[in-house]
Formats: sequence, C-alpha cells, structure tokens
Amino acid sequence: MFRSINRLNLLGLRRSLATSAEQRLKSFHIYRWNPDTPEIEPKMQTYEIDLNACGPMVLDALLKIKNEQDATLTFRRSCREGICGSCAMNIGGTNTLACLCKIDQDNAKDLKIYPLPHMFVVRDLVPDLTHFYKQYKSIQPYLQRETNPPDGRENLQTIEDRAKLDGLYECILCACCSTSCPSYWWNQQEYLGPAVLMQAYRWLIDSRDEATNLRKQMLQNSMSLYRCHTIMNCARTCPKGLNPGKAIAEIKKQLAFD
Amino acid sequence: MGLNMIRSSLPKPSLVRGIKTIPQPPGFIVGDVNDAYVPPKPSKSHGSIHWTSERAISMAMVPLALSPFITGASTVIDSTLCAVTLAHCYTGFQSCIIDYIPVRVYGAYHNYAMYLLTFGTGVAAYGVYDIEKREGGVTNIISKLWKA
Repeated sequence: MFRSINRLNLLGLRRSLATSAEQRLKSFHIYRWNPDTPEIEPKMQTYEIDLNACGPMVLDALLKIKNEQDATLTFRRSCREGICGSCAMNIGGTNTLACLCKIDQDNAKDLKIYPLPHMFVVRDLVPDLTHFYKQYKSIQPYLQRETNPPDGRENLQTIEDRAKLDGLYECILCACCSTSCPSYWWNQQEYLGPAVLMQAYRWLIDSRDEATNLRKQMLQNSMSLYRCHTIMNCARTCPKGLNPGKAIAEIKKQLAFD
Repeated sequence: MGLNMIRSSLPKPSLVRGIKTIPQPPGFIVGDVNDAYVPPKPSKSHGSIHWTSERAISMAMVPLALSPFITGASTVIDSTLCAVTLAHCYTGFQSCIIDYIPVRVYGAYHNYAMYLLTFGTGVAAYGVYDIEKREGGVTNIISKLWKA
C-alpha cells in the first residue's frame, strides 16, 4: 500500500494541499444590469476565480467576486445552507440555489450565471418576486377553522394525516420551479405556478383545515391551475428534491371528483 | 454578445405581427404590492369539467383506434373515432390558444383565433362526413393504403 502511495507521489499525482498548489483559474460569466443606467443594455461580465482559493459552492465564488473583485455585483443570499431560498438563480442553465450548487471543478469549462428566467430584474442577479408573493398570498397559506378544538388547546392530527404533509411543507419558496415552468413564463399573471400550487395542495389536504371548499373554488377556472401541462420542469429543477408536478396532479384529481 | 446580434438581425416582433397588444401593468402588479392576486371567477365548465372531458376523450380514443383491428371496418366505430379525434384536436388547439394568445394580452384576437379554430373544426367535420359517405371511412382508406 505504501509503495503504491509512493509511486503516485513520484508520478506527481498525489493531491497536494489547496494552498500550495498552483492557480486553477475558472471563468464565471455573470449577467449584469444596473437600474441606475437603464440606457446600457444588460451584458455578461467575466470574472476569473482561482478554484484553489475558493470554497466548493457557486455562492462561495460569488461572494469571493464581491469581496475581492467587484463590490457592485448584486445578488441575494442569506443562510448559505439551502434553507432560506434567497440565492435562487439560473446557474449553468438550471434554476437552483447558489449555496447548494457545487462548482464544476473542470476549469476548462466556463460557468454562466443568470437571474431566474422570465422574471423582471431588479439588478444583476436579483429578480422581482413581488408578483410571486402576491400569488402565494392569494391561496391563503394559513390554517382556517370554523370550530375550536374540543379541549380548547390544540388542533390535533393523526400521525397518518401529518405524514400527508411530508414532501410539501419542506418547500422554501425559492421560486426555482415556477420560473423553470414554460406555462408560468407565458402566463404568470394568471397561472399560479408550481410552487404556489404545491402550497395550495398542502393546505387542501391538511386534516385540520376547514376552508377546503373555498380553496378548491378558487382554482376552478381555466388559468389558475389548468395551465399546467405536466411539463415537469418543476420536479427536475427543485433544489430541495420535491415534486410540485405530483401535487398539481393531485389537486386536479381532487377537483375532478369534486 | 450573441444575444444582441440575434436581436438586431430580427425585425421587431410588433412589426411582424402588426397587432396592438394590451399593455400590461409594470411588474404585472395589479393594485398594491401587498394585495393578494385575484383569480378569475370560478367556473367549473372552464375548470374541472373541461379537464375531465379532455381526459375522457383521450381515453375513449384508445379502444376506438384498436377495435377496427379486431372487428374490421365499420361506419359506426369509424365515424365515432373521427369525431372523438376531432374533439381531441379541438381541445388541444384550444389549449394552445389560451396559452399563447391569451385574452389578457391580445383581447379580441383571442376570440378571432377561437372562431378560426371552430370554423376549421367545422370544415374538418364536413370532410369526415364526406369520407364516411364516399370512401367508407378512414379505416378503409388506411387499409387500402396499407395494401397498395
């Protein structure tokens, strides 16, 4: 075993410490647009990053650029561990969270970073999510009951009923799925989009909720729900591994037997 | 770079269409930023009933398309298959029109597209009637072509 390690050493193949190695420069092409200079068209700006002096995730690279090369680069970030959903952006053609997306270590390949597609851009990588949040508000994402619990304390739920919410409540509303959906691109003013519809389903099947009929009625039109054509980009792109497409199918099934 | 080049080489979309679209509110925001989005009025015939009938039509096509292989060509089965296929095409194109020519943006043009679709479906329905009457059905034509 020692011999094999020595041989690797002789061949120069043994992995050396990151700090001592030579530079491994990788190009990052990042979408730039500044609202203060609206006459200048959006452009792609290229930054070179030494992968040996950078953390493993795309967010590390973005922070490194902002700290060391260009303080004007603007993006949202907060938790750096995939629980806040702030750093959702289009990285290498896929909507994902910058903090959960590893940098491809092949430095011959460039990486392109855009804001979430088909959204209004506030600046650089920051999309305007106002309409998305207005849609989320419209499904009334909170518990609604006519009656109080019999013991006057808690709304109890069986273990089975609670298990129905798994795979739905984990959604962090990063808008990766909605902005990857072509139906949402064409009709986002009226179509609610996978993220919001999955939350609508989460409240439809909650055993404690008593506003089910109102919730169903809200979706009974051609635009809000039925613009989903099961393209399934939502399930493919979700950085949390959830399946909004299935939730939408379940809503359609419920409404069909309503 | 590439994007700009493509953009400059294309004529402006509005010139191509020559169609005036309805201007949309900035950021698609209707009312206050804190107001909830207001969905269209509930209508089951545009919602769940429409969706269920779409599925029913699709499912009905399967046995109708397979039965001529077992029973041989018959005018009843053949004309039903043609009618159901036509309905399937109609709902498919209707969906395309709702997606790409929405009332919200195109106003009256949405209705014109729907009229055109209905007219086209009517012409196709007459064509189906003609085929059933003179050629003995689509299945018959296909079997003739198969043997030819």
